[in-house]
Amino acid sequence: MAKVGVYVCHCGTNIAGVIDVSAVRDFAETLPDVVIARKDLFMCSDSGQEMVKKDIIDGLVDRVVVAACTPRTHEPIFRAALEKAGLNKYLFEMANIRDQGSWVHGHDHEGATEKAKKIVASAVGKARNLEPLEDKFVPVTDAALVIGGGIGGINAALELANMGHKTYLVEKRPSIGGVMAQLDKTFPTNDCSACILTPMMVEAYNHPNIETLAYSEVDDVSGYIGNFTVKIRQKQTYVDWSRCTGCGDCASKCPSKVPDEFNMGLSDRRAAYIMFPQAVPKKAVVDMDHCLNCAGREIGTLPKINEKTGRPILAPCERACPAEAINRSVAYNPEGAIKEVEVGSIVVATGYQVMDKGWFKEMAPDSPNVITALQLERIISATGPTEGKLLRPSDKEKPHTITFVSCMGSRDENFHTYCSRFCCMYMIKQARLIKEKYPDIAINMHFIDVRAAGKGYDEYYTGARKMGINFFKGKVGGLEMLSGDRLRVLAYDMESAVNIEYESDLVVLATAVELPQDATTLAQKLGLQFCGANFFRELHPKLGPVETATEGLFLAGCCQGPKDIPDTVSQAKAAAAAAAVPLSQGKVRIEPIISEVHAEVCSGCGICIPLCPYHAISMTTFADRPRAQIEMSACKGCGVCTSACPSGAIVLHGYDETQIFAQIEALTA
Amino acid sequence: MLITQEKINEAVSTIIEYGGRGILNCVQCGACSAICPGVRAGFPLLCRSLIRHLLNGELEEIIEDSSSWACQACCRCTEVCPRGVRPQEVVFAFRRYQGNQLAFSTSSVTSQMNLFETGHAVYVDPKEARSKVGLPEKTPTSAFDEQAKQEIQTLINNSPMGQLGLF
Repeated sequence: MAKVGVYVCHCGTNIAGVIDVSAVRDFAETLPDVVIARKDLFMCSDSGQEMVKKDIIDGLVDRVVVAACTPRTHEPIFRAALEKAGLNKYLFEMANIRDQGSWVHGHDHEGATEKAKKIVASAVGKARNLEPLEDKFVPVTDAALVIGGGIGGINAALELANMGHKTYLVEKRPSIGGVMAQLDKTFPTNDCSACILTPMMVEAYNHPNIETLAYSEVDDVSGYIGNFTVKIRQKQTYVDWSRCTGCGDCASKCPSKVPDEFNMGLSDRRAAYIMFPQAVPKKAVVDMDHCLNCAGREIGTLPKINEKTGRPILAPCERACPAEAINRSVAYNPEGAIKEVEVGSIVVATGYQVMDKGWFKEMAPDSPNVITALQLERIISATGPTEGKLLRPSDKEKPHTITFVSCMGSRDENFHTYCSRFCCMYMIKQARLIKEKYPDIAINMHFIDVRAAGKGYDEYYTGARKMGINFFKGKVGGLEMLSGDRLRVLAYDMESAVNIEYESDLVVLATAVELPQDATTLAQKLGLQFCGANFFRELHPKLGPVETATEGLFLAGCCQGPKDIPDTVSQAKAAAAAAAVPLSQGKVRIEPIISEVHAEVCSGCGICIPLCPYHAISMTTFADRPRAQIEMSACKGCGVCTSACPSGAIVLHGYDETQIFAQIEALTA
Repeated sequence: MLITQEKINEAVSTIIEYGGRGILNCVQCGACSAICPGVRAGFPLLCRSLIRHLLNGELEEIIEDSSSWACQACCRCTEVCPRGVRPQEVVFAFRRYQGNQLAFSTSSVTSQMNLFETGHAVYVDPKEARSKVGLPEKTPTSAFDEQAKQEIQTLINNSPMGQLGLF
């Protein structure tokens, strides 16, 4: 017969402030097989754990129920205590009387106490029927995948590679670098973005442990921690990258003009193009959606022959290429190629996009002189459309008054309720850069409030005031388009409670940070969840900021929530450290709370196979008959197969029939 | 200025009761006041600053202010508000409070009288202007329709407005 010990936790006032802990303890003592019931101020404290251990060592109890908080955070602590005391750690059950009791029934002390008794009775019912289980281990593939080649992904990949792990760095664009490559300078030190980023891009690209897969996307992911199989689609470049030298001659001869994504649409690129001057890898790509197929040179067709010269008539790009990297006679597969890799852990660092100005109808989005902050970044960048000269888009004239508007789509119930976190700082940065270069330009900045929390940030902000940049507390209500591409700003000065109106030559909108649209597709492939703000959800907002609900899958950078470069780098390094854990251990533990088929009972009907969300069930042969079998490393213990099996042949260890019925019985008594 | 929680509670619950349900959503960003034609015309206690005073509990202190009657219900504030405050509803809620306390501004009494007498809150004798452009002198509205006028007066007399004793 089981000897159950019940330990009720006060959790300070978290539980005891609502629930009568003594009453719950007294009640627990009356339950069948309960030999000891105790209470403690904090069961998770050393003294609380010692109490449990002593009772086990003294031979008083062989099943443990702790009535306290959530097993999510505390089950591992108590399981470890059981193990230390020499008892199988799965002979433990937790009754969550805090999250499901005191926290949600704070208004009803009596009712909460009664509910706590039921929860404890149910846990005891299960504990009486618990069986010892053993952990299982599977080997790990010593390699990692980093999705996204921005500053976050580059840092995560470098960390993993420097720890000695083979790392695949996948980037969907032709070059790594991400949004940081588009920035002119970075706050709060004003270092040139390219100067600090490019060396890291090159280091990552040349690292012996990093395989950079640019212009590639994750097509499919299967498997589990330690053993993921990833299919990566290397998109068709239509250029032989093994020959391409990055000279750019193809781009200079290509006649097709396309709005340049890198310059945020402020200039044109060609259909054959290199993403930007410092691109890594510096290779050309032909954008087939915009290719004009000059000289009738459709991909995969042989060229016409010039009757006079007898030489083939080539398209300008292939004629221009001195390395013979462009050959339109090759029948390239438009789907590209699939590369399959095996990895042990995955870091997702897919970054963000900023909202388009078109969403903000009151902000005269049709005016060419209303731009997003990222567009201004390109205008003031030496590699941008104006080669670093501050010229406004409508007439390429230098503006005399510039207006900055904060919180466009952030902190706004119509779009995103969250704060985009780094707009205040980059607006101040842009204003400072402009003021330094052109002291005669009037700069008016409108904030709901300035959020400058960060090392050296507030000093950077107050420095901007000293430079003569004008700050107004109060959100801009609207812009009016006037003749001659002028704009009237309708603003408000909170401090003096009056309206302000003036004409501005250039208005910069700090539009909200959000996940790119294709992030949803990736989330489905990886099994990532979204948080309320529609970023990827981390395991725990405080204690699991880089982990996800899927083991072996980690997050870094803005895909988890808006953050600036220092925070992105920190999180990327943290994610790399976490992702390296299974790789360094060489094996991963599989919790034995998984399902198993009793082959002698199984009828081989196969109902369970399509139901399994983890593709863990397959058919095998047992005694010359077809039988289901479950791959233990793929099973997550969800129990779908167990409940669906018409023969009752599948048992979910840790949640078997006797245990669950005992719980139901206790709850309905 | 002394601030007490009781006064703040009273002001907030009064405004919510009279229809200004979003008042507590306000983060004082000022976008509403930036575009409010009333504020731009120089009426101080509208939108952002009206809400601020109410959130300070100053219900009685500002009861005689006539700014709220300058609101033309254009609702541009509601359009630009990022927090779903619907400032126009707060202004109207404050107006209802003022009305129930008989704290009308003189400008509003005239429009109430106009409404009672002609069915139009803003009424200008149209005859001359209309005949100039060759239209019939009388408008096809309540102003020249005795039955409609009587119906409007019956409605007003049987509404809370009638209990104010203005007419």
